[in-house]
Amino acid sequence: MYTLTIVTPEKRLVGGQEIEEVFVPGFRGELNFLPGHAPLLTTLGTGVVKYRLKGENQLRYVAVSGGYCQVQPQGVNVLAEIAEPAEDVDVATAEEMQKTVEHRLATESLEPEEIKKLQDELARARARIDAARGLRKE
Amino acid sequence: MPSLKDIRSRIESTVNTQQITRAMKMVSAAKLRRAQHNIVNLRQYASSLLSMIADIAVTQRVSHPLLTRKSDPKKILLVVLTSDRGLCGAFNTNINKFTERFLRENRHRFETIDCLFIGRKAADYFKSRNVKPVDTILNLARDVSFDMAAKVAERLIEAYTAGQYDEIRLVYNEFKSAIQQNVVCETLLPIDIESAATLNKGTSGFPPDMIFEPAPAEIVEHLIVRHFNVQVYRCMSESVAAEHGARMTAMENATKNAGEMINKLTLTYNKLRQAYITTELIEITSGAEALKG
Repeated sequence: MYTLTIVTPEKRLVGGQEIEEVFVPGFRGELNFLPGHAPLLTTLGTGVVKYRLKGENQLRYVAVSGGYCQVQPQGVNVLAEIAEPAEDVDVATAEEMQKTVEHRLATESLEPEEIKKLQDELARARARIDAARGLRKE
Repeated sequence: MPSLKDIRSRIESTVNTQQITRAMKMVSAAKLRRAQHNIVNLRQYASSLLSMIADIAVTQRVSHPLLTRKSDPKKILLVVLTSDRGLCGAFNTNINKFTERFLRENRHRFETIDCLFIGRKAADYFKSRNVKPVDTILNLARDVSFDMAAKVAERLIEAYTAGQYDEIRLVYNEFKSAIQQNVVCETLLPIDIESAATLNKGTSGFPPDMIFEPAPAEIVEHLIVRHFNVQVYRCMSESVAAEHGARMTAMENATKNAGEMINKLTLTYNKLRQAYITTELIEITSGAEALKG
């Protein structure tokens, strides 16, 4: 049994379902875990978690941001601050968001703090779009 | 003796009140269900996040300013969490009583005890008792949002790291069940990791080949602020759920009492009406008798 759990403060998105493999946006880039992976603990970046349930061919997508991911022999636990399954992503709003933020970053002169904040927002918008796109491609 | 009309209008107004209390009960019940659902998940999230941080900090010997206990705390900040609105039974009274006692009993133990009130009820209560808060935060949105909790959390961390306080405690109503709320005084900062760690200090805890990305100290640094935000958010959500629970119970009692009152008044009304009829009949018959005779 190799299971995956994804929880946020608001809800439990995936609750210990058996999986074949999972991709997680870690601190140093994307990580791929298969059963038998060495124990690991990493902070989460902003990106897309992709996982394949046992016996399925399709990948499922969840946009996540913040938190941590723990890999144990029994499975993978993702505690994210924000998580949104691809099916729930409103692509139009996300794209709108991406455009406004990109525009602001390109044209306005901002404080470093604000730039950091906007970049985070941009990353989140991109993650949501990526998650939704990944879903559509299949 | 009150007239029939008086009693009738009293019955009417009691019925109106009962309608209001009944509606409030329904609303609270619905809100409670949502808040309760929220909390179950949040508690679990908060505790797994904390035990993770604690495990790393304890086994990897990571120290962080927010984790270090001061040996002799002198300056205390008491954060008091109440609701903005009343009509929820002893919900706010319990908190205020507790805070008042805490202030009285600990005045000599600590150098300073400052108060920060969240919610109008504590602010109002202590205004007339000459307790000056460092600040009050009003207008808790109807449902506590994470953003708002994060803002409060940020302020607390700032005050703590600047050395304004040695300890920050939070007084709030913990949600036990719809009819039970407990007043809890929790130490928010420094974060108590010793009791939260699931792994023992002596053992290596994590498997020896455990990979940390980034280094344990950085993970702790990264997660601890997030944990604190979640913690504050959890306490606020607990308080909101407890408030709805308390209001639901209080309104249920009020509805019941109003019902009893209506019954009592109706009985008096009917008795009085009968008495009037009887007197009138007697008057008529005795009048007729007099004419006959």
